[in-house]
Amino acid sequence: MDVETVTERAGPREFSPKDDMPEEYRKAATRMIQFHANSEIMGAYLERPFIRQAPSLDRKLAFSAKVQDEIGHGQLLYRAAESLGIKTREEMLRELEEGKGKFLNCFHYPMDSYVETPMIAFFVDGAAMRRQATLKSTSWEPYAHAMDKVCFEEGFHVKHGEDILRELMTGSRKEQEMTQEAFDEWWPRIIQFFGPTDEQSTHHGFAAEVGLKQMSNDQLRNAFLNAYIPKARKYGLEIPDYPRIEKRDDGTYEVREDDLDWDEFFKIAKNDYEPGVGQIDGRKAAQDAVEWVRDVLDDYEQTARGQPAAAD
Amino acid sequence: MIWEVFRQEEAGDYHTHCGNVHAPDREMALLFAEIQHGRRKPTHSLWVAPKDEIGEVDEETANFGGTTDKSYRWAMTYQNIDAAAEEVADSEAEQAEADRRRRGD
Amino acid sequence: MATTDADLGSPGDLDEGEREAVEHLLYRLADDEFVLAERYTEWQVRAPTLESDLSLSNIAQDELGHARLWYDLLEDFGYSESDLVWERPPGEWRHATLSEVPFAEGDWADAVLRSYLYDVAEGIRLSALEESSYARIRDRVPKIRGEEGFHRDHAEGWLERLATDSGGLDRLQSALDRLFPHALALFAPTDPEIEDRIDDLGLRTASLSEMRGEWRSEVEPFLSELGLTVPDADRHTPHGRGGDHTGDWDDLHDDFTHTYRELGRTEARRIMVDPDEAES
Repeated sequence: MDVETVTERAGPREFSPKDDMPEEYRKAATRMIQFHANSEIMGAYLERPFIRQAPSLDRKLAFSAKVQDEIGHGQLLYRAAESLGIKTREEMLRELEEGKGKFLNCFHYPMDSYVETPMIAFFVDGAAMRRQATLKSTSWEPYAHAMDKVCFEEGFHVKHGEDILRELMTGSRKEQEMTQEAFDEWWPRIIQFFGPTDEQSTHHGFAAEVGLKQMSNDQLRNAFLNAYIPKARKYGLEIPDYPRIEKRDDGTYEVREDDLDWDEFFKIAKNDYEPGVGQIDGRKAAQDAVEWVRDVLDDYEQTARGQPAAAD
Repeated sequence: MIWEVFRQEEAGDYHTHCGNVHAPDREMALLFAEIQHGRRKPTHSLWVAPKDEIGEVDEETANFGGTTDKSYRWAMTYQNIDAAAEEVADSEAEQAEADRRRRGD
Repeated sequence: MATTDADLGSPGDLDEGEREAVEHLLYRLADDEFVLAERYTEWQVRAPTLESDLSLSNIAQDELGHARLWYDLLEDFGYSESDLVWERPPGEWRHATLSEVPFAEGDWADAVLRSYLYDVAEGIRLSALEESSYARIRDRVPKIRGEEGFHRDHAEGWLERLATDSGGLDRLQSALDRLFPHALALFAPTDPEIEDRIDDLGLRTASLSEMRGEWRSEVEPFLSELGLTVPDADRHTPHGRGGDHTGDWDDLHDDFTHTYRELGRTEARRIMVDPDEAES
């Protein structure tokens, strides 16, 4: 299939591994899904300390379940990416360890206090869920199938995050103040989650033409702000003055791009931002330490013991 | 040998199990499946897999989803929260439905 | 072992000595599960593969859920979750040291071996509680047992595969040498007099030494079959049951109570319904 045909046919769940897709499509889809999968893993990495530091038994269980789900999403997504035939899961995980794999800006920042957890678990997950819901209609069928399960599970994550936010914002004055401080710090990053405006986005054009991406950055950001600004206010959070966000007459929002730190954003996009580098390296060290187990499994699989009987 | 057959009705759907065929190898299994399972029902694609290669775990031996309370992993547990967005509400509705079905209601 | 078949009745029916025995038994059960789960969660995002990560996470959640059920029975006596978990001084925890010792980075052999040693003991312990004279305990056994089968199969499956590799076998042996004395601590008394009372009251139908014997007769042939040498070792000192622990426990305790203290919390938020309501 040539790119022209792909563009003509591009519709929800239109293409599957049995289609002969052009390399340009397969590479673009791999880049997008690998980014998504990496983000699940690095998001889980950021939240894992709060399994231990959650301040109640039920919350601890919920954090463990949520981090577990994120790893499960990584499992689904790496497989969807693998099915494009460009890279194996092992190669993608290796790239993540080596700092070559890209992932969401928000997961490059450190998260030190429990009061920061709803910034990820409510706002970032809410933003991610907005995007994921649209990806149920992506043109790569295995990706859409992964999104079915991810979206099924994700409602728990967002509500878990919102419940923690509500608890903190109805808690002691100290908790409320700490949460507002965390919100002030995270808000610009959350706005940047959707990337620069459409005019500045490099990969949008092709991905949209071949049906991989269903909505533009601007549309997604708008939908997110529409739903989540009222939620933030409901819990008594004050929206920071910067970046300036103005509501247009048609109900959409305009974010003043100049108020955001794009140097930092693009530094992060290159995996050059210091806390993020530490997080990548931390995960690498943990994964290197269990390399021996994967080797044992591989050897086991090679022997007759692990080998399934010949199929035909 | 026996081959299990999975049918996908339309592009983008899931392949779901629809039956099996007896055939000496994969090539013949696909031919037989095409007629036996694809001649009338809407079919976009068929998969075949050797029956012996399919592993199974069922309710007899497993307690799927556990035997103790795991409600912390369900959206419905977080009460008195209006879903922040449509997709959150959709997810919760799907979870509520799955939970009802697994309880056998 | 039980010298009486009398049912002890409900929490309010217990006399002081009975209540003390029930409490000791419950702390043993709950603390083992809670602390081991706390250790298991260290593997989240660090397990060898994505699939193994998911599985061990689930086991951690199961064990935490079991701890929650046992702590809930202590709440019958007026304690809150804060008393039991978040504000209880580290020296008053009764878990065996097997639960608390840390994993060395990447030591998956320790994780699956520890799970095996623990889950065999757990199975034996639950059997001895099925006919407990205290209904509140025996009624919770089936649900907990329902999740132990997977744990056992999971641990054995891993051990059998790791042991096929000479390097894997070496790692397992070194984990076994280190863990075995801590595993024996599972059968140590919190207080010898009170443990006797637990048996005399029929709270459990096998004594600690009987359970230890059964455990040894089960784990030793299995481990030998894998090619491992079971060490001729004594129980670790300290063993944890008496409230005395290794230094690693203080660090762990400090870490999991961090947020509760940082935020100045005085109570723990519940999300799930009370176990008694969930059962109805």
